[in-house]
This record gives sequence, structure tokens and C-alpha cells, in this order.
Amino acid sequence: MNNDTVQITGRNRIVLWISLVVALLFGSGGMNIAYAADAGVGSDSVEARIAPIGRVQIEGQEPIPENVVSKTEGEEKELIAAPRPSRGDYPDIGVSSRAVVWVLAQMHLFFAALVLAVPLFVLVIELMGFKTGDERYDDMAHEFMKISLTGFSITAIFGGSLALALFVLYPDLMGYMMRVFGAQWLVYAGLFFLESFFLYTYYYGWKAMRYGNLKWVHLTLGLLLNASGMTIMVLSNSWATFMMAPSGVNEVGAVIGNIWEVMKGPLWNPINLHRFIANIAFGGAVVGAYAAFKFLSTSDPAKRAHYDWMGYTSNFIAILAFLPLPFAGYWLMAEIYAYSQQMGITAMGGILAWLFIVQAVLIGTILLAGNFYLWSGMSRTEGSVRYQPLIKYIAFVLVICFLTWVTPHTLMLSASEIAELGGSHHHILGPLGIMPAKNIAVNLMLVVTFLSFQLYRRSDKIATVSWAKAGNALLVAIYVVAMVNIIFLGVYYGYFTNTVYKVGSSVAQVGSTLVVIIAGIVIDSLMFRNAKTLPSHWGRIPDRSQYALFALPIAFTWLMGLMGYVRSSVKTHWHVYTVMKDNSPDNFIPTIGYAGNMITIVTVLFLLFVLFMFWIANLSATKQSKPVGALEGGAG
Amino acid sequence: MNILAKTIGFSLALTLVFTSVTLLLPQVEGEAPVDEKVDLGALTMDDFVAMGERLFNNKGTCTLCHKPAPLGRAPDIAGLDMVATSSKRLADERYKGEAKDAEGYIRESLVDPSKYVVATWGKKGSNDSVSPMPAVNKAPILLSAMEMDAVIAYLQAKDGNEVTVSLPSPEAAAEVAAATPAQGSAAAPVLAATPEEALQKYTCAACHSMTSIDVLVGPGLSDVGARLSVDQIRQSIIDPNAVITEGFPAAMPADFAAKMTVKELEMIVNYLAEKKK
Amino acid sequence: MDDKDQMGTTTTMLATVAAFVLVLLAFYGLDHFIMAIQGLPLNLDLSPAG
Repeated sequence: MNNDTVQITGRNRIVLWISLVVALLFGSGGMNIAYAADAGVGSDSVEARIAPIGRVQIEGQEPIPENVVSKTEGEEKELIAAPRPSRGDYPDIGVSSRAVVWVLAQMHLFFAALVLAVPLFVLVIELMGFKTGDERYDDMAHEFMKISLTGFSITAIFGGSLALALFVLYPDLMGYMMRVFGAQWLVYAGLFFLESFFLYTYYYGWKAMRYGNLKWVHLTLGLLLNASGMTIMVLSNSWATFMMAPSGVNEVGAVIGNIWEVMKGPLWNPINLHRFIANIAFGGAVVGAYAAFKFLSTSDPAKRAHYDWMGYTSNFIAILAFLPLPFAGYWLMAEIYAYSQQMGITAMGGILAWLFIVQAVLIGTILLAGNFYLWSGMSRTEGSVRYQPLIKYIAFVLVICFLTWVTPHTLMLSASEIAELGGSHHHILGPLGIMPAKNIAVNLMLVVTFLSFQLYRRSDKIATVSWAKAGNALLVAIYVVAMVNIIFLGVYYGYFTNTVYKVGSSVAQVGSTLVVIIAGIVIDSLMFRNAKTLPSHWGRIPDRSQYALFALPIAFTWLMGLMGYVRSSVKTHWHVYTVMKDNSPDNFIPTIGYAGNMITIVTVLFLLFVLFMFWIANLSATKQSKPVGALEGGAG
Repeated sequence: MNILAKTIGFSLALTLVFTSVTLLLPQVEGEAPVDEKVDLGALTMDDFVAMGERLFNNKGTCTLCHKPAPLGRAPDIAGLDMVATSSKRLADERYKGEAKDAEGYIRESLVDPSKYVVATWGKKGSNDSVSPMPAVNKAPILLSAMEMDAVIAYLQAKDGNEVTVSLPSPEAAAEVAAATPAQGSAAAPVLAATPEEALQKYTCAACHSMTSIDVLVGPGLSDVGARLSVDQIRQSIIDPNAVITEGFPAAMPADFAAKMTVKELEMIVNYLAEKKK
Repeated sequence: MDDKDQMGTTTTMLATVAAFVLVLLAFYGLDHFIMAIQGLPLNLDLSPAG
């Protein structure tokens, strides 16, 4: 088929490529380990490493022989404490500096998340297209890249503005951060050159490197685009996590460790994982909105089929990435608690606690929208009829769990209200407000969402394996027992044992959910081998289902903004927690109403910019037809 | 166009739903701690106890964790009689600290919480040997010695027990403050009256730990009296670059000789010479 | 129902029961395992040990 003289066989190519990927990963991982070992990370206690090593030498006395115990890189560095600006040291531009930085930072993060996520799933879809030989995958991957291309410039514009705002409005903080991170920001800046190179060659070379060996080159470019993007993200993540949980510096902020110790704080990897997964979910949701809009805007059945498929794929990506997200978030919160119980409780038991009720509303929206879209999609296939009766039970579970999750625990009550209520908490609904109940609710919601998924995936197939009945029985048992287990763990350890067991039981709940997901995937992939496929009609889905695809990115966007508010506020009145105090006029945690307004502003801004981004994508494909017979009323 | 309008309309409506949820919730602002000027000359014990209660609920952030069961992440000290409880704790065979009475026990719990961890409240996996409580005299709480005394007074007084801490003298701390030692150049030309005041005025704690040998920027001074003679200490202040402890840069300000009065200098030198452990 | 169907029904019922028992045991083991690796041992009746 190919005119190339040397053809590496298909399987060898895959082996070669996987080896390259693995080698890159190990190489970079190995470097990390080497650096870490070199720095002695984790080997000595903090006390041992910063014990004074000098002694007083009186002039005229015999010089005491040097007995240097450890020669760390920091020895030649001057120890300079973090600055302590007074209120007057902060520039005043007439509007709240924090508000300015808030908007710019959040816009930057929205678009950065988008442009990190899209190449990720684009690469996977392109690979799938290559593997199956189905051109539609490749075309869709290309289309996803096209519609998000402008996003890269928008990210850069907001990034530049953010940097400007930070340096102008918070000069002391930024001076300190530059001192702490040293040349790391140069690496960060340099990576943008790399990323741009890979982006342009990957996108503009799509058609030129379409088949054969060149396709492998193209895939590699895509991989490198993702690698550089990922590296950019983890570098900038280290700034945020340093501000929350500083490492590599002493009590007054003087740098005593090397750059790896500074970067590799307790929150760095949890944030890396959380943002990695969340970006994918967010990116899927945003491109899904595009597909939904295009679906509604056309009456051509072929186009509707195409955009329906695109919407389904986007929703698939969004919900699939969304399922493990609570666990990544849990790990992040657990690390915050381990680092500072005070910070953890400020987030979830103190002033910011109500926020997580709002989060419940948002995630409930996301799950309801995602499920609703899946159920609507069942009308694409005839085989879905057998599963229709289950939908109302899933909906019921979702609603009950959502209401449980939304129930607050501690209410601000006046004395008369307390008297009416008969106490500071409602005697029936009160217990629903604390963590065990919420963990039950979340895990059950994830389990039934996965069930919706699984039912949808099954609805265009009929199993032909001999053990289908046994397999189904096993699956039913797994679902039922898992749900019972989740409830048991939450109720028993949550309400009848002590705090430590209560917290530990949530891990077991998560484990149960994961067992359901993994077992479901494994059993279905085995059971539906060589299955009989039923016809499925892309495009045959009610219009109202597309609004679910609008709800997803709006909820995701708003949720991201909300979580940014938490991340920043949990540092209370510190720029860098425990190390550099915030003495600016805005050094208080704003009310949730104020935050809500700010988040809405950035969400609306994001909506407008995304519409612009999609419009540009369409504009580039539009061709104005040449005016015919220019004499009458035409341009001269 | 119609689709666009519907899309934008739906998106805006949903966004506004989320916004309205936040507007319906109780609006609480998290204030940063502010300086509170206290007239020490007019301070009564009742005022001091009230100050302690305020600190307990606000700047000290105690109520974040010390709450009634089942919410609390730490013993409910507001609800317990702390003097009686302290005696019980001191009598526990697991107690290995140095306190001898309730005041000492509470103070030790504030500055070194892991000295004794009440059963079942330790960090997960540490078998009650490590406390999740931060040291309150360090960041991010940073209570001064006087503030800690106020909290102890409150904890003693609230159940009707005798308050054993003494009121701070006007010569002691200059002000009850959340302020860091270096609060601009507003530091007064006021003469420091005690060693602690002098140390605060000249911001020694910015670089030297007074309570340990840990290096902040310069060497820790908790044992300086054992290491250096009185003359050596004096020389280190008025001419820091004459003899620099090995391993440290020449970072100590050299203008103390010009700024300090002889009285302040001698106060500091004598104070530091006493620090031998 | 003819014999074949009845056999099918019994087999399905047996399969379901067997599946339930197996899965119950599996989750029981999972609970013990996950709590144990966190340093939170359980008794046989799943109550906190020690």
C-alpha cells in the first residue's frame, strides 16, 4: 500500500513506539530520582540537615581544622529570609489587586487546562484511528485540534497578563518567589518554545504526515506536545503548592534546599494528579459543547450523525475522566490534613466548609447531566429497550444521594432558631451532614453513573459467549454487594467507631467503587467478544439532550473557579503559608457570595472567549463566494 | 442565531443558579488577625481572661479543632475543666514531659504538643506519639508569650479555678500584636525597657531563634551564654563582622552600635549571657 | 415450561447465589485488607480491633 521502501511491520512499530515512550518516561523519572538522591531528599530529618555547623573562632587563635559534615548546594548561598512588606509596600492601582489577579489567573488556568487536555485525548483518538483504520477517528481528532487551536494563544495572552499583574501588584512576593525558584522559571519559559514547535508541526503537518511511517512521526510529535505541556503544568503547579505548603525553606523562608526539595513539597504530586485528570474531564466537556452546538445548528442528517458521535465521544471522555477525580481530590485533601491539620480543617470544617456544599451542587449537576445524556443516547439503539426499566432506579439513587450530599451539618442559627430546632443540629437530618453520609452518597453516585455507562455501552450488542448468564449474575452480585458494602462502611465506621476508623473506611468505600468499575470493564470486554452488534443510529437523539452537553462545561468551569477560591483561601492571611505573611489590603478571606460573583464573572468571560475560539475555527473554514457580475450595485 | 441565543441563555441561567446558591449561604469573611493595642497599665485580670477567650476563639484558632464530640479533632478543652483534666494527664504513666502543674501542662501543650498526646487523638499511624496540633508560638499562629499567658488564664478561669499566671507588666511586651517584629520603620524611638522589648525592637528574632539552636539565618541563641563570654556577645552585636561564626555569611546588620543605647545593649548582652541551655 | 427451561432457571439461580456468596467473601476480604494496610486492624466481625 505504501511506497516506502523500508517498512517496519505494524506490530514492530508499536513495540518500537512503546519502547520510546517507556524510555522517555524512565529517563525523565531516572533523572528525578538521581537528583533526589543527590539532594538526599527524605534521607535525613530536617533537624539534622539544618543543625549549625560552625563554631566561633577568636582572632589570633590557631585556626580550627574544618570539619565539614555535609556539603549541600545551599552552603555557598546567603540565607535571606522572606520579605515582610508592610501595607504601604503594596502598590495601589485603585481597584482590588486581588480581584485583578483572580480574574487573570482563573482565565489563564481555564484555557491552560483546555489546551493541555485536548492534545491528550486527541492523541488517543488518533491512535485509535490508526489502530482500527477508521478514518473518522482521525478526522475527529483533527477537528478537535482545529477548534481549540486559538486556545493556545488565549492561554498565552492571559498568562502574560497574569505575570504582568503579579509583578506589578505583588512585587515583594514575586521577588521572593523568583529567589526561591531560581532558574526554574527559565526552564518554564523555554518549554513554551518547545511546546509551540510541537503544536505547529503536529497541527499543520496533520495531512502531510497522514500514513505509514510519517504517521508515526506525527504521533511522536503529538506525544512530545503532550510531554512538554505536562512538564509546563507540573512546573507551574510547584509554585502554587509551594505557597500552600512550603518545602526547602526554613521557618523564615530562607532557601536551604535545592530546587527539587523546593518543588517536591507534600502537595505537589497530589495537585499534579488532580489537575491532570481534571483537565481531561474539563477538556472533554468543552469540546462536547461545541459538538452540541453544531448538532443543534444543522438539519443535515449526515452532519447531525457526525456531531452526535462527536458529542458522545466528548461526554465519554468527560465522564470517564471525572469518575476517578474524587479520589484524586481525596488524596489531595488527605495530604493537606497530613501537612497541617489546621489547614485541612479550615477547608472542610471551618470557614470554607459551606463551599463544599456548593461543590456538591455542582458535582450533582455534572453527574445528573452526564447520566441524562447517556439515557437520552439510549434511543440511538434498539438494544437499549431491555435496560430502560433500570433508568428510573438509577435516577432515584442519584437524586437521593445528591440530596444527602447537599445537606449541610452546621447551620448558623439564632437563639430562637436553635430553640425551635431543638438543638444546634437537626436530629434527623443532622447526621446526613457529616462526612460518612457524604462519602456514601458520592460513591453510590459514581457506581450508578458507571452503571449508566455500562448499560449504554451494552445496548448495541448481544453477547454470544456461553457464560453470559453467569457473567451477568456475577456483575449483578458485584454491584449489589459493592453498594451494600459502601453503605455499611459509611454507616458503621462513620457513626459507631472513632475518627481514625471513620476516615480509614472511606478508602475502603473508594476501593469498592473501583472494584465495580474495573470488574465492569473487564467482564464486559470479555463477555462481548464477537458479540452480535445491533444497529445504532447516530443522530437519533432528542434535541434536549444537547443541553446536558452545555450544562457540563458550565458546571465544570464554575467548579474549577470554586476550587481555586478554596485553594487560595486555605492559606488564610499568608502569601506563602507560615513563611511570608500577606499584609495587603485584601489579606482576608472573602465571603462566599463575593467569591460566587467573581466566579460567575470568570465563567461568563470564559464562555465568551470559548465562543470566540469556536467562531474563529469556523471562520477559517468559511469561504466567501466571489460576487457574480459586479456591475450592478457591486464593488467598483 | 436562535441556537446561539438559546445556548448562551441556558449557560447564563445555569451560571446564575450557581451564583444564587452562594448568595443564599451565610456570608462570613475570614479576617486576618489585627493588632490590638492593650494598655497594660490599666489591665485587670478580668480583662486578661477576656483577652484570653478572644484569642482562644480568634487568633489562636483553637476552636478549629478543639470542639465538642463528635465534631472535634482534638479534646474539647472548652467543655472540660482544664485544671482537673491537667492533673489527670500529669498523673498518666504515659506522661513524659516536664510540667508540674496545670499551668505548666497547658503551656507545654501549647509550645510542644507532641510531648504528650492524649490517647486516640494522635496522628494516624503514629500510635498517639505525634500530635497533629501545631506549636502555637510558631507560624502560622504565632502567639506571643503574653498571649499564651492570657489563654492559660482563660482556661483556668472559665471553670472557676484559680488563675496562676501573672498579669503582664507594662515593661513586658510592647503591645499585643499579630505584627511581625519588623513592621515598617514605625518602630518607635521609644526606649526599650526590658530585654524582650529590646530584642523585639531590633528584630533579632528575624534571624536568630531564641528558643532553640536551629539556624534561621544566623545561629540559634538558646545556648549562646554557654558558648560565648559576655565580651564576645557584646562584640558580636556592636561589631558583627569582627568574628563571624564559621559557616555563616556576613549578614548581620553592623549599625546596632549606632542605633542602640548603651542601656539597651547591656540589657541584651546580660540577657543573652543567661541563656545557657 | 419444559425441562430445558427449568434446568436453565435452576442453573441461573444457583449461579446467582454462588456469585453472591463469592462476591460477599471478596468484599469482606477487601475491607479487611484495605483497613489493615492503613494500620487499622479489624476483628472477624469487622469491628475495630485493639
